[in-house]
Amino acid sequence: MFRPRYFFGETFTGMRRNFLMFFTAITTVAITLFIVGFFLIVVYDIQGILTSIKSQVEVAVYLRDNITDELKTYLESEIKGWDEVAEITYVSKEQALEKFRKENEGSEILKEVQGNPLPASFELELKSPEKVEQIALRFLDKDGNFIEGVDEVIYGQNYVQKLFQITAITGSIAFLIIIMLLLATVVLIFNTIRLSIHARRKEIEVMKLVGATNWFVRIPFIFEGFFEGFIGSLISVVLLYFMANYLLIRGEKAIADTMHVKELAILGSNSVILYIYAGLIVLGGLIGIFSSTFALKRYIKI
Amino acid sequence: MIEFRNVTKIYADRTAALKDINLTIKKGEFVFIVGPSGSGKSTLIKLLIREIPVTNGAIYVAGRNICNLKTSRVPQLRRNIGSVFQDFKLLPNKTVFENVAFALEVIGRPAYVIKLQVPQVLKLVGLEHKMSSYPHQISAGEQQRVSIARAFVNRPPILLADEPTGNLDPVTSEGIMKLLSRINLIGTTVAMATHDKNIVNSMRRRVVELEEGELIRDQKRGVYGI
Repeated sequence: MFRPRYFFGETFTGMRRNFLMFFTAITTVAITLFIVGFFLIVVYDIQGILTSIKSQVEVAVYLRDNITDELKTYLESEIKGWDEVAEITYVSKEQALEKFRKENEGSEILKEVQGNPLPASFELELKSPEKVEQIALRFLDKDGNFIEGVDEVIYGQNYVQKLFQITAITGSIAFLIIIMLLLATVVLIFNTIRLSIHARRKEIEVMKLVGATNWFVRIPFIFEGFFEGFIGSLISVVLLYFMANYLLIRGEKAIADTMHVKELAILGSNSVILYIYAGLIVLGGLIGIFSSTFALKRYIKI
Repeated sequence: MIEFRNVTKIYADRTAALKDINLTIKKGEFVFIVGPSGSGKSTLIKLLIREIPVTNGAIYVAGRNICNLKTSRVPQLRRNIGSVFQDFKLLPNKTVFENVAFALEVIGRPAYVIKLQVPQVLKLVGLEHKMSSYPHQISAGEQQRVSIARAFVNRPPILLADEPTGNLDPVTSEGIMKLLSRINLIGTTVAMATHDKNIVNSMRRRVVELEEGELIRDQKRGVYGI
């Protein structure tokens, strides 16, 4: 016995007659979800920056000057076979000197350089930067000395480990904060909707006493909760959209220009920002429905 | 029509509101349930509409034990029992017409039935000229008439009234009693809880007296006190 005209009628009459409660609920949803959305964008960008820094982690394998061509070719093909290595580049003594000259153009140091003191090297780019230490260890033999032909392996030992710790910590802190924000959002919205239902408990009592079924009582309230959540989240998305496109985007442009970060929430090639928007709207609607359903439980039990 | 068999009600705080009540009310009867405050009158009425569950015993309405009624069947029970309360329980933001119509809407009656039946029942209670007033714009007696109209608009076979004149002056109360008698004359079974001595004495109907949860008197054409 679904009677849309009655249910929609009741829903809208209810909203009009309790406009203040309706307005409060929508504002609460809009503001809390806006904060959640804003935070999601910021966290995503921070993670993007950290990932980009991580991917720039390289391993430099310096070779002895007296290394034979056979050994060099053997090492190169061996390293190429490792799964963790994305790319290997050979830098000869001459190229190293060229690079050094370019980097220190006009400096006094160049005058001090006689001959070519720079070693040849392999530069490794990694698929999984977290494994940098294991890879570096492969260049050591059982006694802890470098294997034949290798003079030294450099990968920014201390700095890399710290960076990974920081990313892990910021990641879990961000996760915790988002969970807490969501919890606060749910509690706040639930309470607001509960108050608006409490204000109409007499109506519910009368409905139950004249023989309305539970679903008949419930449906207008669930519609109302859904509308409050839906409209509130829609407002939060509109606010977020304007803020993202006029304010946050400038920050992202600056980050993209200076740090070459590809994974950004708004500018990024993937549509993270759209997922955030859609997620907020779905979340708003669901919170509205569940809040009104649970808040009703107490009053419907007559 | 209504039968209580060894009904006992003990509330969660262990106070016994009703003790082993046996009572039969026939179809078309008018019964006063009297007794001082706290004697169990309201409990009796709340049990009948399954607002609260019984602790022990059985209550039959129209031959059916309502104590083991499924929750989903309770609305059906209430559609057959009109209830009137001391505090009227009108919705302040609905007009007189809407308050009565509400009772039909929530049980899924179509609009044309509502348009037909609401003015009819408002005429019966003498309020056809106040259909678009709000509850706060009419007197207490008129408000109680609206609540009787709401209880009766669905033409239930049973009407329960819990102290319907508790908030009204004697003259207004008399009007309400005339209205309830009229509803009873149409064939509705009426049970009314009250501690209004004058009303009971002037009506001379069946009187059931409760004291501390026990049924101590059941008289065919009784008065309030012995």
